[in-house]
Amino acid sequence: MEIKSLISIEYPNLALFFPELIVLITGFILFTLDIILKRISHSLAIGISIMGYLIALLYILLNFDLKGETFYNLYVRDQFSSLLQVFMILLTIVLLAFTYEYQKFKRSIYSEFYYILSFSLLGGMILASSYNLLLIYIALEAVSVSFYIMTALQKRDFNSKEGAFKYLILGGLSIALASYGAVFLYLYGGSMNLRQILHLDGPNKELLILGLILFLFGFAIKIGVVPFHFWLPDAYQGAPTPITAYMASVGKIAFFAPVIRIMPLVQESFHKTWVITLAVLAVITFLYGNVVALVQKDVKRMLAYSSIAHSGFILAGISVAETIGLKAVVYFLLAYSIMGMLSFLVLAVLERSGAWENQIQEFSGLRLSQPFLALVFAVSLLSLLGVPPTVGFFVKALVFMSLSFEALWWVAILMIGGVGISTGYYLRLVVLMYMKEEEKKLTFNPTGFEKLSMAIMALSLIVLGILPMILWNYISPVSEMLFGR
Amino acid sequence: MDWASIPFIPLSMILPLVGILLIVFLEERSSKWIALIFSGLTLIVSLISLFYFDFSKSHKVQFYHELVLIEELNLKLALGADGLSYLMYILTTLVSFVAISWSLRDHQINHRLKEYYAWFLLSEATLVGVFTSWDLIVFYVFYELTLIPMFFVIGIWGYKLRLYSAYKFFIYIFVSSLFLLLGIVSLSTHHYKQFGKFSFSYFELLKNQYDLAFGVFLFLLFFIAFAVKTPIVPFHTWLPDAHGEAPTAGSVVLAAILLKMGTYALLRFNIGLFPKESVFLMPLLVLWGIATIVFASWFTISQNNVKRFVAYSSVSHMGFVVAGMFLLNKEGLRASIIEMFAHGLTSASLFMMAGFIYNRLHSFNMHALRGSIRFMPVFAFLVGITAFSSMGLPGGSSFWGKFLTIMGAKEYTLQLALLVIAGAFFSVLYMLYLMKTLYLDTKEEGRLVHFVDVRGFKLLAFLLVVLPMFLVGLFPFLFFSFFDAYIDTVLSQLVKVAGGISWR
Repeated sequence: MEIKSLISIEYPNLALFFPELIVLITGFILFTLDIILKRISHSLAIGISIMGYLIALLYILLNFDLKGETFYNLYVRDQFSSLLQVFMILLTIVLLAFTYEYQKFKRSIYSEFYYILSFSLLGGMILASSYNLLLIYIALEAVSVSFYIMTALQKRDFNSKEGAFKYLILGGLSIALASYGAVFLYLYGGSMNLRQILHLDGPNKELLILGLILFLFGFAIKIGVVPFHFWLPDAYQGAPTPITAYMASVGKIAFFAPVIRIMPLVQESFHKTWVITLAVLAVITFLYGNVVALVQKDVKRMLAYSSIAHSGFILAGISVAETIGLKAVVYFLLAYSIMGMLSFLVLAVLERSGAWENQIQEFSGLRLSQPFLALVFAVSLLSLLGVPPTVGFFVKALVFMSLSFEALWWVAILMIGGVGISTGYYLRLVVLMYMKEEEKKLTFNPTGFEKLSMAIMALSLIVLGILPMILWNYISPVSEMLFGR
Repeated sequence: MDWASIPFIPLSMILPLVGILLIVFLEERSSKWIALIFSGLTLIVSLISLFYFDFSKSHKVQFYHELVLIEELNLKLALGADGLSYLMYILTTLVSFVAISWSLRDHQINHRLKEYYAWFLLSEATLVGVFTSWDLIVFYVFYELTLIPMFFVIGIWGYKLRLYSAYKFFIYIFVSSLFLLLGIVSLSTHHYKQFGKFSFSYFELLKNQYDLAFGVFLFLLFFIAFAVKTPIVPFHTWLPDAHGEAPTAGSVVLAAILLKMGTYALLRFNIGLFPKESVFLMPLLVLWGIATIVFASWFTISQNNVKRFVAYSSVSHMGFVVAGMFLLNKEGLRASIIEMFAHGLTSASLFMMAGFIYNRLHSFNMHALRGSIRFMPVFAFLVGITAFSSMGLPGGSSFWGKFLTIMGAKEYTLQLALLVIAGAFFSVLYMLYLMKTLYLDTKEEGRLVHFVDVRGFKLLAFLLVVLPMFLVGLFPFLFFSFFDAYIDTVLSQLVKVAGGISWR
């Protein structure tokens, strides 16, 4: 290589990096104001956050087809990252309305929350747009550290601290595994760029496979794949419920993004390892997640296990390293981010009703006192179950399609078993809400914005199922693009 | 105005949906009339469409409309009807109207009326969708969607064990139909590997070629779903619970139309898409069908609860449908399709009988209703016609189903025909037992004289299913004209692909 090209100075193309920059600046403004004003007022913090996020969102939407690399190939922007970032920002904006009401009710108000939220969003956005091992590592840390803190943000609650602590320890392990894997990958490829590493047809294939598996295991912990899932139910249960919703939606998208980016890079030489490793992990994950969810009495914990199970379904799609698999996975991930967020947000709202402990029998006859919440929750549960015409059905059909494409019949048959088990617990909640008599009288009203955003999310679950082309027309070109076709 | 250009099928799906909207936004006491009006309108639309259906071309899809959903996957909302679909479509609109007009005066339906009628209209719309979609994913969506209304109807307005039955119903059908989903997408990916593009369209998938082992695997994926839905004997256990605990109108829709979804789909997809595999598996399936007839008949006779009795009798009738279908000859297929229609009428009538007696006696126990029918002459007359029809008396509607099945079996061997006759014998036996209990047994008469005979909307509901029974029984050729051309195409397809049937 010529010396000149080594020392050439590239001016960063900030047009590509602009959304992240805005989110970062928003975070810093919030941080600074919080210090200057001693305690920033919530309306101001929410206003600044929403304004920053909206600018970033608008920028991405207006420049959706923007494509390029900057910071010496560290940072990549393409339609894939734009698509995921749009969802992340939208869901974060929705979340802001719920957190304030929730924190006020729990009398656990932290103004730090707002800038930590924007830092985690920044990390997630970068995770979705990089091939570089180092940058992935940093972004992963940014998201994780924010999540540890946010999990613990519940005053006078031991579970919250316990969950955060478990998350911290296992998160540390995950970072260790991922960076260890990154070292092997570097040894093999002599580069930090995943695209170069995986395209290289080098001599020491075992280094590559070891590195890739360790790297995947690191992410598996974050995603909540069995047998690395032990932190997840505790953290999800202990965290303030809106934060749980955030981790189950934006967190899922962020942690899955690099794995999905690796998918199209899978080469013939380690294709088989990829398929077997991920298929086995997927099967264990969705079977375990569904079986354990079945026996939970606490609904929040049950939904946490259902989130594990859904990670399994997504992994089953990831194991098929083909375009159809990629399309299925991206669609599934985005659909799950809405379903997961909606179902946890319903719990977050319900918790404001006073003596609500998220026990399953408390949902008995919910249709009488809270018809709106019951309806929204039922839609999200049926979508999680995969009943047509909701989007949950469509994405499961896509995963089945990609499994049959790869002729992974055993995974498909076991997945039928997994979904079959899941009918038990989703249906029980629907039955309790609509067919049993009332147990608890709940007298409170969700705010108008909460109602509006939940209604929009529930509606979008149905609309995306009936008219799948709305999202498909974005996902399909993105997948083709990632595969370089 | 050109009447023939009216989109009959989309219209009969949209009308019930409009009805649902009105029910949701108007007050509760008007909801039953809205439901009645809109299902009545749908029935009228379907009857008007009779004049525009070209019976000479009943193997072709008519009234075809399509809307592309995803270009890349060739996923489209394709609606249309050939002879078989069309007959089922008429049955759907008829029975839905019957079920709703029955519910108007049903004592069991006294709370949450809005939801009740909305669910029934939704089930009508989705059932029309099931029988008329030509895109397999869209078919699957409608097929699954029929679950939701029935799940709620059983779970909310059912009898004592309603929750248990609702769970059982949902889980059985939902899990089994996931196999169907896997089968459908496998067909599509197989199409991709052969022709370079995905497709879910029935006509496109007909072109697929499989080797026998893979074909049988796909056949089984489809078969599991439909065997549970139909149901065939070891998979039938959800049915007596669901039918026994559902409110009367729910049982009517379940037995008359939902079971037909299974047999319709077996005929359309298993035989239509996998002719080679059907021929290969035919001996097994015919014998399985006959076994279903015999076992279900035995189960029927041993029932104590009259609703479960009728439910099991449905299973045995479905045995005739399955056995007839897999005989794979003209008589067998004719028998199977006409029996589907005939059973839709008789089972609806029998469930209304059970519901009517329950309204008077507050019991489903066979002993309690001994001789109960004698002071209600009109009711007794209607039930008598139904029972004789269901038994297969010449002139009754089920006669042709049974007779033609025996004829079809005789084409292979005499022994097979005798086996079918044995099944038919048991099905006569349980019906005679039911009639004996209702008409001939005695009971202290003081309790019975004040029983009011069937009248009003309930009479209308009864007449709407009993009169067509005569039509089927006396003029079967009216109905054969719906599907004869279709049967010929299926058989020629069988000969072309599988080289005819070697099993003699």
